Amino acid sequence: MVKTLSRSIALLVALSGCDGVVGDRPAPAHVATAAPPAAVPDAGTSHPPAVLPPFAPAGVVLATLTGTQYRNAVADLLGSGLPEIALEPDTNPYLFTAIGAARSTAAERTVRAWEAAAHRATEATFAVPERRVALVGCTPTAPDAPCVRAYFGRFLRRAWRRPASAEELDRFVGLSRRLGAANVWTGLRYATAAALQSPSFLYRVELGAPVAGAAGRRRYTGYEMASRLAFTLWNSVPDEALLDAAARGALDRDDTLRTEARRLLRNPRARSAVRAFFVQYLGLGGLDGLARDPTLYPDVTPALTASMREEVERLVEDVVFTHDGDFRAVFSGASTFLDARLAGLYGLDMPPGAEGFARVELPSNSGRGSLLTTAAILAVTAHPNATSPTARGRYVRERLLCERVPDPPMNVPLNLEAGDSGVMPTLRDRLERHRRDPACAGCHSRTDPVGLGFEDFDAVGRRRTMEAGRPVDARGDLDGVAFVGARALGEILARDPRVAACVVRQVYRFATARLETESEARVLADLEERFAARNYRFLELLVELVASEGFRTVADGGR
Amino acid sequence: MARTLSRRTLLRGVFGGSLVSLALPPLEAMLDSHGEAWADEPGPIRRYGVFFWGNGYAWNTRGRPDRWTPTPGPMGWTPSEQLSPLGPDAAGRTMTDRVSVITGLEPKTAIPASPGGQGDGHMRGVAVALSGDRPRPEGFHHPDHIFALSRPTLDQVIARHPRFYATAPRFRSLELSVSGNRFHDYGTWTAISYNGPESQNLPIRSVDALFDQLFAVRTGDTTDRALLLDAVADDARRLHGLLGANDRQRLDAHLEHVRTLQRELTGSQAACQMPARPARGGGFDGAPGNEPLLDKLDAMARLLALALQCDMTRVFSLMFTGPGSQTVFRDVGATTGLHQLCHDENWELSRRATIYSMRCFRRLLDILAATPDVGGGSVLDNTVLLGTSEFSAGDVHEVGNFPVLLAGGGSGALRPGTHIHLPDGNLARVHLTIQQALGLGVDTFGFNGGETRESVAQVLR
Repeated sequence: MVKTLSRSIALLVALSGCDGVVGDRPAPAHVATAAPPAAVPDAGTSHPPAVLPPFAPAGVVLATLTGTQYRNAVADLLGSGLPEIALEPDTNPYLFTAIGAARSTAAERTVRAWEAAAHRATEATFAVPERRVALVGCTPTAPDAPCVRAYFGRFLRRAWRRPASAEELDRFVGLSRRLGAANVWTGLRYATAAALQSPSFLYRVELGAPVAGAAGRRRYTGYEMASRLAFTLWNSVPDEALLDAAARGALDRDDTLRTEARRLLRNPRARSAVRAFFVQYLGLGGLDGLARDPTLYPDVTPALTASMREEVERLVEDVVFTHDGDFRAVFSGASTFLDARLAGLYGLDMPPGAEGFARVELPSNSGRGSLLTTAAILAVTAHPNATSPTARGRYVRERLLCERVPDPPMNVPLNLEAGDSGVMPTLRDRLERHRRDPACAGCHSRTDPVGLGFEDFDAVGRRRTMEAGRPVDARGDLDGVAFVGARALGEILARDPRVAACVVRQVYRFATARLETESEARVLADLEERFAARNYRFLELLVELVASEGFRTVADGGR
Repeated sequence: MARTLSRRTLLRGVFGGSLVSLALPPLEAMLDSHGEAWADEPGPIRRYGVFFWGNGYAWNTRGRPDRWTPTPGPMGWTPSEQLSPLGPDAAGRTMTDRVSVITGLEPKTAIPASPGGQGDGHMRGVAVALSGDRPRPEGFHHPDHIFALSRPTLDQVIARHPRFYATAPRFRSLELSVSGNRFHDYGTWTAISYNGPESQNLPIRSVDALFDQLFAVRTGDTTDRALLLDAVADDARRLHGLLGANDRQRLDAHLEHVRTLQRELTGSQAACQMPARPARGGGFDGAPGNEPLLDKLDAMARLLALALQCDMTRVFSLMFTGPGSQTVFRDVGATTGLHQLCHDENWELSRRATIYSMRCFRRLLDILAATPDVGGGSVLDNTVLLGTSEFSAGDVHEVGNFPVLLAGGGSGALRPGTHIHLPDGNLARVHLTIQQALGLGVDTFGFNGGETRESVAQVLR
């Protein structure tokens, strides 16, 4: 392995035409770039290189709730079964909606949607006597009944992830009295809707508190840590137990912080949060409204693309939660989860009597094996009317190995015309030109040999044996390691230390809602080590991540 | 806290019978401090609009004939093939006398050498076309999913210009989008109106939502809904003092939106002609990118025209198809999105898609021209309407010979019906021309090498 890697590094260094890749440091956030180090030198050992700068925390991030977080939070606060909440779509710069929520300014339509949603949700809740009594905890006889104040104390602490001040409680009780002159419940409903429009609910206000003897560094308070833990591990607000843990200082200490993190990870909410991470990391949002030419792929329907996405989510959930096993099995497993639609696409049989999704073993002659051969990955890396070895190779390089492949130079022909010979060339023939032309070869020689190894699957993930009238050629090459077919590539990737390092980097971005800074390289290196030491169990990576200094501290002085 | 309030004026307003304090957003503050010529003069209404389509047009790359540039003609100019929908319709009515075509322009913003690739791409095209500046370098790497405009788009520059609105309009601007497609799953590629970096004005994407926003009668508890927004503003003020400069700006913008909403909830609705809700309103919102485009555009344009007629707003942008449009033009026989068709060099379908887009532009013009304006003439007569895209030739991401269609009379400021060829000309001249036509007193525009003091005088009166 070590030998393979050093060869690959030498090869990468030689590719000067594809600049800005090798040995790049993570950039400071203000010149944000997706370029991570292509390969940590000597990545075969677990010692981080001595050259990493000393750790210093990054600046304050003020993220709004993402759409998913908003919906989850409202359901957790008011109860499930409320009317559907219409929000504007999230943005996903650098792949993650959390980063978009931290960078974007709320659009007017978003603020309108928040206003409407707060009213719809509270109206639905307060319209049902059992629901409103359960929420408020009493049947108040007067607007200033003591239980009203107790309700706001409880509700605001959870919604805002901090105790409300006495002044704030006064304001909400006052608001509720003013708007509830005719009907106590109406006032309560309005005040609850106001709480859901408050910036204290809509923004994750995590500013830290000074640390004695640590100039330039602030530590997130217990309540702020509760917020960070809940939004990272649950994509929602904390529960009462987590807020109580914050109140008694349990989130300030390593051991009890880990205990709380593990508790959260045992809750079903954690499954949907981890699913959400992988959907964003792997770009499965591209399956929504997937553009496929219906004359070529008539069976692509929204139902099919939804199944594609579900397969990947189940696959990840199985490895991460059900087995709590080595994360890398996502790439090298020999089974997956299919429903009848996908089984039809894959040409595989469902187990007898199976309904909905079921685990299906993948015979070796199926060419399939876990993540890389899922229709989801194969489809989001293809053109609407053809496969794209370049896009697939780039996907492996950028998503899975965290390398950067530069965009094409200016004004190059972006199409590959048919040759003059009269014989329709295969895509492989046509791409050959890209690797011959020096202007293109720097990058295409890094992407295409990898992506050509996927040629045994078409643009919707169907297995194929012929292309342009000739037997398909799925020979690929990753940094000098030859393979045939995407299944074999998955086995190579499962052993490649860059893959584990990459997922660490990506989940760190997901959790911190920003790009990593140069001064956090030690945190990432340390997490990679801990991930390996815990046999690549993803849940343990999450526990170590939330316990890391990078997650718990923030630079002094705003941003 | 003190810093917050020092930038603002306090307005005493009455809600629900009690006095409350409202911090004014910057726009209103500016407007209140202004108010001489525009406020008191019943001068002509001047409006600005954008019609945007994605992926450029089918240009004469690779030795193909030029089917875009018009030729001289009796009604101003004679349309080329791709501009033919602007020529005589079945009834013989033409739009060539109400549209000026400017050819030969290109963006002059300098292209930084590093990181590479910044001269290329949909994002630069959108940025130079709509903001006059290049985007930030960070956005160029496609998989980052960024749309990195560096400054407000022209529609917002105009809408926030102190000389534009005499009194605060109901909507500072309206943003609409017809095709629901988006570029891959890039969440930031869904708007073409920006207040500044990472501050988008998301478009209204459905006919129903547009109708609701413009015409739905607010009933019941609107005063109470407005009142509780004060509690929201109080909390925002508390937070404000704790934040860094950038986050303060974000929070200020949020608060400004809250104020807009509050004003809407309490304000009386203008006496507008209330249209019937479009019967098929909900029928256009099927699979994004597969809408019946002309029908949906027609329904949206009719509502827009009424909103303009009763002066709900004077600025709009209509994103017909988005940047890097993956819209499938089924009506012209396409089965694959336009972005792919261009890169596959499907010349025939690309041409047809451009012509179809121009048909839709024509429909918008027809509707605005058929809508009488309050002070006389038509809504189109009193509008400056820029039709543009992010490229000339989409297949090679070309920005030379940028598409520029300048429609409307600009309340007498524009001289429509002209074709001017300005080879190697600076695209920012168009942005300057538009601001001059709107009477904003601007004599220079452009950024980063694209600065110009020269308007396109031929289209101004």
